[in-house]
Amino acid sequence: MKKLLHTLLLLLIIGAVHAQEGIDSLIAIDEVAVVGRRPMKQIGVQCTKFDSVALKEHIALSMADVLTYNSSVFVKSYGRATLSTVAFRGTSPSHTQVLWNGMKLNSPMLGMTDFSMIPSYFIDEASLLHGSSSVSETGGGLGGAVKLSTRPKEYDGFHLQFVQGVGSFETFDEYLHLGYGNERWQLSTRLVYATSPNDYKFVNRDKKLNIYDENHNIVSQYHPTERNRNGAFKDFHALQEIYYRLTDRDRLSLTAWYTASNRELPMISTSYAEDEEIENRQREETLRALLGWEHIAAKGRLAAQAGYIHSWSAYDRRVTHGGNASEENDGGLPDGTMEYSRNHLNTLYGRFSGEYLPSEKWLFSAEVTAHHHLSRARGKEVIDSDGTHRAGFKEDRTELTATATARWRALPWLGLGLTLREELYDDALSPLIPALFVDGELIRGGKLVLKGSLSRNYRYPTLNDLYFQPGGNPDLKPEKGWSYDVGLDLKLGSGKPLALSGSLAWFDSRIEDWILWYPKAMGYYTPENVKEVHSYGIEVELTPSWRPSKDWLVELHTSYAWTPSLNVGDPFSSADQSVGKQLPYVPEHSASATLRLGWRRWELGYKWCAYSERYTLSSNGSTITGTLEGYALSNLTLGHTLHLRWCDLSLRGAVNNLLDKEYITVLSRPMPGINYELFIGITPKWGKKRH
Amino acid sequence: MKRLLYALGWLLFATMLCQCSDSDNDNPPIDPVEVPQGLFVVNAGNYNASNASLSFYDPVGNGYDNEIFAKINGYKLGDTAQSMSIHNDTGWIVVNNSHIIYVIDLKTMREKGRITGITSPRYICFLSDEKAYVSSMYSDQLTIINPKTYSIIGSVTVPKNTAISGHTGSTEEMVVIGKYLYVTCWSYEKTIVKIDTSTDKVVATLEVGLQPASLVKDRNGKLWTICDGGYEGSPVGYEAPVLCRIDPEQMTVEARYPFSKGDYTSKLRINGTGDQLYWLNNGAPYRMNISDTELPATTAFDTKESYFYALTIDPENNDIYLADAIDYQQAGIVYRYSATGKCLVSFYVGVIPTEFCWNK
Repeated sequence: MKKLLHTLLLLLIIGAVHAQEGIDSLIAIDEVAVVGRRPMKQIGVQCTKFDSVALKEHIALSMADVLTYNSSVFVKSYGRATLSTVAFRGTSPSHTQVLWNGMKLNSPMLGMTDFSMIPSYFIDEASLLHGSSSVSETGGGLGGAVKLSTRPKEYDGFHLQFVQGVGSFETFDEYLHLGYGNERWQLSTRLVYATSPNDYKFVNRDKKLNIYDENHNIVSQYHPTERNRNGAFKDFHALQEIYYRLTDRDRLSLTAWYTASNRELPMISTSYAEDEEIENRQREETLRALLGWEHIAAKGRLAAQAGYIHSWSAYDRRVTHGGNASEENDGGLPDGTMEYSRNHLNTLYGRFSGEYLPSEKWLFSAEVTAHHHLSRARGKEVIDSDGTHRAGFKEDRTELTATATARWRALPWLGLGLTLREELYDDALSPLIPALFVDGELIRGGKLVLKGSLSRNYRYPTLNDLYFQPGGNPDLKPEKGWSYDVGLDLKLGSGKPLALSGSLAWFDSRIEDWILWYPKAMGYYTPENVKEVHSYGIEVELTPSWRPSKDWLVELHTSYAWTPSLNVGDPFSSADQSVGKQLPYVPEHSASATLRLGWRRWELGYKWCAYSERYTLSSNGSTITGTLEGYALSNLTLGHTLHLRWCDLSLRGAVNNLLDKEYITVLSRPMPGINYELFIGITPKWGKKRH
Repeated sequence: MKRLLYALGWLLFATMLCQCSDSDNDNPPIDPVEVPQGLFVVNAGNYNASNASLSFYDPVGNGYDNEIFAKINGYKLGDTAQSMSIHNDTGWIVVNNSHIIYVIDLKTMREKGRITGITSPRYICFLSDEKAYVSSMYSDQLTIINPKTYSIIGSVTVPKNTAISGHTGSTEEMVVIGKYLYVTCWSYEKTIVKIDTSTDKVVATLEVGLQPASLVKDRNGKLWTICDGGYEGSPVGYEAPVLCRIDPEQMTVEARYPFSKGDYTSKLRINGTGDQLYWLNNGAPYRMNISDTELPATTAFDTKESYFYALTIDPENNDIYLADAIDYQQAGIVYRYSATGKCLVSFYVGVIPTEFCWNK
């Protein structure tokens, strides 16, 4: 019924709006054909770019899915709409910095980014900056950085697109895009709404149920088939973009992204609690707004940004008897509260950056950024007659950074780059953070390039690391890292029917004073600078493509990484078996592949990812729960676009976990088997022709 | 075939067995089913990882085996195992965050039955063959069960005594003396309650200090507890830990032995003859005679450089067993010391060894 209303509403909107744009071709066209000289900005940089087809495959995808199937980064999650974090080059989730239009998305309280909270349909450009290559963009990316951007479209008139998705487990996804553009203005509104009870079925291998005789003797036992319990989610995202061309050289922009998420945390596989007995829920409301100005000059570029983030997040675990989590009233908590937290965060952000190209041989760039965080974390509290004693913390932090980069094309085939970076966290000034980049063409025209980079890096403790109650440790030092990589970049037949691009890199990094939370005293965890980690390995990417005729496209993207990531710190005691061992939840081998076949307006996509076994223990012990089996997953999508008289209609079907593989990514969290999704997209084309 | 596999498993574990003394001693592989008496180690595992496990050690033959519940029963023990108690020929393992109590037959280590439906079970205390009590960390209800039928037969409401909103109440360790059950109220609480088991009503409440957890009875029939004092920033406050001797009849605190603020005390235990108390303070073992009038100034004996997490005393020969969880993310280790402090043997167990249980 609700869906019918949606459809009616949609028809009304369609009637009211003169929309005109046809659907984008399913066949992707390379954004920029690299001809001749490589861009100066790429000197020595190890970067993986995600194309728009990967980002816009279908509306149910988050950035977690895009990373899973289009890179060798390991994404740790336990199903759709659950905390999805990454291990990039064998590091921890907080070692991957995430930038959205230049602004940090990493929570200053937790340090990491939940990639399941980023709908891929909101991202127009995405790239991975491996290791040192992140230093020119942001600090703290000891593993690297993920750079996400939205970009103005080039609409002339109105644009409307609506996509309805229906999937297994009563999952509904809706996407609405409204756009308007003329010579000066570009407006875009994107809305995504996803809901699901997410109660997929699985055979619970961690449990057995008993069958008793009349004397209560167990006569037999079996692994029950269960549903994922308490896994429901409701996520809403809105992205508003306004771009205004002030002059030919100046552009103003306003982008605002609002998220409201209400997710249950699924029960673990060994829980015998009744569904209604325990409430375990996480809610978040976040607004990120960015005002930007950009000036393009003949020999450079200037940009200024001002931003604001407001974030409210809540976690509740409590004993219920069927009721939902109620908000606290009069400062009191709902009865039966076991765990409770409310985090409030307000961040003010400013950035000023410039680029200057005095000649073809030099590129200078510099930027300063400022983040000011006002955070408030609250847990269980006490109410006394003499006032309220709150458990939690209220802390401010100012983070200032300054970065300067010089890139020099010393010889036609040789490029050099140097980045210097300083960071000031309140009154703690980082030592100078340098990064060096070298880039040499082995075959002219950028066909084969040898490149390398070297950097030192720091990551400051998060606000929770420092102040969390209980356990926060204000004496923590920043984590320190050294990293280098060398590699080859291959680009053959660019723009030709048969093309091959790829890269191969060796990396090596050491992180000292690695912050680890552990229960030093009984009852709660506390973080300390205890570990030293040595990670190294190989990253390979290979993308052959074949476009035999205008109608056909065959493209394969493959990636593979070998990432030993070893604890090389001092042992806790003589009994410590973790020294020299692989970090928990970092697979040594990871690989992904996507195959795309396009014929006219048909598209067939096959995605695959594979991970070797992961250890759950720092000692890599081979106990029953100590290792998680390696696994490979396959997904299939088929899409077709119909050109009707009044609209373009796109139909897309996806089969996830094609081979119905039983697998787990996180201990005690069985994942869904084969499941299906269907998407119908409508883009009305009444009105003017597209320019 | 299965036997052979078991044998190979034990052999593997035996080779992993580590001696803390320098002497090289082969530890024979054991089949816990064939060793009539010994020590169970309850390994809590990591929260939400469902990697709790049960280990078994034979103090006579020195052999041990890990993950015995999962290996014999074919399914996981669960998430955050808290304690184990023995009644007749059955072992009762309380698995807190799986919300289950598994009952195993000590002759076969196979499951005999289970109890579900308790919010946050922590410890179990037997009154008779047909009545036992189960404490809960996140509930003011002390659950009454019938061990014979594996069923919940009632509950006792234990009043909350701190004014934190949303607070659930909490019950922890228990001791039975005559017809009375004594329970510590630990998490965010500060009392010991006395329950008349004939009426299942709270008959007395004694405020002892912040967060009393452990409870033991000495040879004179007195109760001892250690209040851990909470932690800095705790909503109910933070104070120095204190060891208390309690007269269970009068429900009065007879003696208080305060520690220093910043000390972290846990796991108060007593020897088999009921005259020597042991506990952990900042991860080190301490010992005190019940007749002593002040706290010991030094640790019970020198130990390996470790931060111990759990402790038990062999009720027959007073050997002390100390468990180190190391980094809390790998197999922990148990060290066995003689009463004089000589390290006799050590063996790796499961993740976060948290409690011991003697089958003697």
